[in-house]
Amino acid sequence: MRLLAVLGVGILLLVLATNGPSAGGPREPIVLRIDEVAVAEIDPAKSTDFIDSILFYNLYDTLVAAAPGGRLAPSVAESWTISPDALTYVFKIRQGIKFHDGTPLTAADVEFSLQRMMALRQGFSYLYDGWVSAVKASGPSTVAITLAKPYGPFLSTLVRLGVASKALVLKNKKDGKFGEFGDYGDAFLSATDAGSGPYQIKSHNPQQLSVIEKYPAYWQGFAANAPDEVRVLLSVEAATIRTLMVRREHDVTSQWLPTEIYRALDDTQGIALATERGQSNLFLKINTKRAPTDDINVRKAMALGFDYDEVLRLIRINDRVTAGKTARGPIPEGFPGFDATLPVPKRDVAAAKAALGQSKYKDVEMEFGWVAEVPLEEKIALLFQQNMAEIGVNVKVVKVPWALMTEKATKPDSTPNIVPIFFAGTYPDPDSFLYSTYHSTAAGSWTSMEWLLSKDVDGLLDKARTTATADQRLLLYKQAQKMIVNQVPDIYPYEQFAVFAYQEYVTPAFIDPAKAIPVQGAHWNFRLWQVDMAKKKAMGGK
Amino acid sequence: MRYSTFLIQRVLLSVLVLLGLSILIFMIARVIPGDPARIALGPLASRSQIEALRAQMHLDEPLYVQYAYYLAGLLRGDFGESLYTHRAVAIDLRDLFPATLELVFYSGLLMVVIGVPLGIVAAVWRDRWVDHTVRLVSLAGVVTPAFVWAIVLMLVFAYALGVLPVAGRLSPGLVPPSAATGTVTLDALLAGNLRAYLDFLRHLILPSVSLSLAGVAQAARLTRASMVDVAGRPYIEAARAFGISESRIALKYMLKPSMIPTVTILGLDFAALLGNAFLVESVFAWPGIARYGVEVILRKDLNAIVAVVMIMGLFFVVINFCIDMLVGYLDPRIRLRQMEDAA
Repeated sequence: MRLLAVLGVGILLLVLATNGPSAGGPREPIVLRIDEVAVAEIDPAKSTDFIDSILFYNLYDTLVAAAPGGRLAPSVAESWTISPDALTYVFKIRQGIKFHDGTPLTAADVEFSLQRMMALRQGFSYLYDGWVSAVKASGPSTVAITLAKPYGPFLSTLVRLGVASKALVLKNKKDGKFGEFGDYGDAFLSATDAGSGPYQIKSHNPQQLSVIEKYPAYWQGFAANAPDEVRVLLSVEAATIRTLMVRREHDVTSQWLPTEIYRALDDTQGIALATERGQSNLFLKINTKRAPTDDINVRKAMALGFDYDEVLRLIRINDRVTAGKTARGPIPEGFPGFDATLPVPKRDVAAAKAALGQSKYKDVEMEFGWVAEVPLEEKIALLFQQNMAEIGVNVKVVKVPWALMTEKATKPDSTPNIVPIFFAGTYPDPDSFLYSTYHSTAAGSWTSMEWLLSKDVDGLLDKARTTATADQRLLLYKQAQKMIVNQVPDIYPYEQFAVFAYQEYVTPAFIDPAKAIPVQGAHWNFRLWQVDMAKKKAMGGK
Repeated sequence: MRYSTFLIQRVLLSVLVLLGLSILIFMIARVIPGDPARIALGPLASRSQIEALRAQMHLDEPLYVQYAYYLAGLLRGDFGESLYTHRAVAIDLRDLFPATLELVFYSGLLMVVIGVPLGIVAAVWRDRWVDHTVRLVSLAGVVTPAFVWAIVLMLVFAYALGVLPVAGRLSPGLVPPSAATGTVTLDALLAGNLRAYLDFLRHLILPSVSLSLAGVAQAARLTRASMVDVAGRPYIEAARAFGISESRIALKYMLKPSMIPTVTILGLDFAALLGNAFLVESVFAWPGIARYGVEVILRKDLNAIVAVVMIMGLFFVVINFCIDMLVGYLDPRIRLRQMEDAA
């Protein structure tokens, strides 16, 4: 008993003795704390996910920048010209940009960065694979990229071309399979950065914590009260994030928390919710090559029998905030190529039964596979099961781990009849949504579990890719969308809004819809965020 | 047989066990559904990208060839590259294992310094209110999973009372000690950084208590049961007849023989903490290997899965070895029997 008492008193003393502020110094830095899902990849040639993209846009400048509304804006390239045959793009490189080590950014770095990305064959390299035939710097401020054939989305894809310092990367190369380039800085750039962006790596552990700090000499400057340091905590439990937020020890949450936690945080004084729009859609992908969903009448019945209003109720956080709105098709509103003329899907049980009656199948049964790691999908699966039961379709709901789902997606026979998938645009072009979902070359990946394999759709998407004129391309994409929607390869339950909770002393750039950039991670540009330190102190922020 | 020969035999046997484990986990990791190259490269990777990575990882070769490549790397201390973190697995383990080891060590310590005394107290005052209270607490400890304790303790001490930190090993503003060993305890004490050590202890309280409660309960129940069993032996009656005090009888004559089952079970519990730490590490954002282990399994990161399992296997083997030594010390008859069996 005495031992227990001593232990208890010891713990109490420890708590009392060490509880309190632990930092001090002449000037308190402005620190922003956010969380995301691991793993955080910082190599610009490999990054693809949401957190990768956030870090990418803060550590690196891109050749071309994504701007509000999905427009393209000059960045490292201050201007460019396109040859009449749309095969040669010549970029004028901005002078005065400096890498984090103080060396100037030149055309040779752009050439190197694109060559490196294509050589590593990871990340977004597939966007250039087979399209780019040559890249050549001439002098410090001109770089020419030659294409093998006209490639309409090319300029848009350059928002994913981060420019790394050639000298720094080669100085830190290790032995590898790329000849004189060794490992092409593979190991080096997974641990630190070689960029010229507004922030630089301070410390990086890809599954725990990534800390970036301001690069004061950044050429585009910073907003007043922009964070000096951003700490990205990775893969922390929702309950822990909630506790940290309430204790004002955390500033902005990820978008992956359960609805009830957002609701609770919104009810907490000093914490607000914000949404990011125009980037992502939920697709219920219908396998068009497996019975019974290979019958268009069954697919029509499914789309007509689904309760879209109930889905919106499922994702509503509270009276003020919701996590999505009705979708019209594969591309969300606000993203280039959105077609406002597509019909709004509505539930019509009688029409669904009529469509089912025209099917060649009797006693229709199907498999709904939901991704085990996304609990919301189970709710949607159960709603779908209930809706289909009302029109006479028997749905078997199956929980499938993600690793297994990617394997199932490789063959039409193993792909479930219906699978919910969230997809976000990664470069501001309709091609980002349509090609990887509906083109036959994408079949076998989880983005293309529809197995549409339509020559007509392929023809339109290929033609749009190889058309240089933007207006003509948009017309082709609208035609393609109509053709796709008519074949019902998907149900579009809603356009997804990413919901975030944030402390009111923080002003995230994306809370202003007019400034929304519909590209994954692009407006998590912390140099434009603001942290009101006086307000933070007044609110008890730690 | 000499004792040193017996020890060498045990070490060689342990190496064989680890080799068998490496083959087993290597094969199991490869039959988990999912193509690791496809998962690693993400949704938008082209077929040619996937094929290139499969070739780079030797996944297009027979299993025994893949294993030969793996074993050759292992002998050079190279676990390969993680498809999850895109770093050398050895670097991931170096960064993460010390944190888990430290958490497991302190949790194990709590199991002993709280669980065993509780068992002694319950045995000495058996069938009294103290015994009943310990029984109730122990039952609660055994039946409640560690992650539930983690959430409950966090809600009480961090959310409601706000007296203990929620996440990580050190407060964000605190300068961490230079990472000589990767454990804050040793690094802080080596650097004479008491402030960092105390801050670390504050961060450690909730995760280590959550993780250790089941073990504490088990240690208490086992110690009590063994001591009650020993209490009925004639030599204890004889000791009482000689007028030796009850506390001396309990601590000197009852405890040592009672510790054999407790030590054996506690040793296994201690090793199992390494795997059980996953949810506790997730709740408290503890940068450890248990959380990493689960993530790499979900992503079918072959090299990392095998490395994590091998580390855990090695931990089990070492702990088992230590238990055998300790049990042999507590009861020399067991040591002699072990040596006879080995001969």
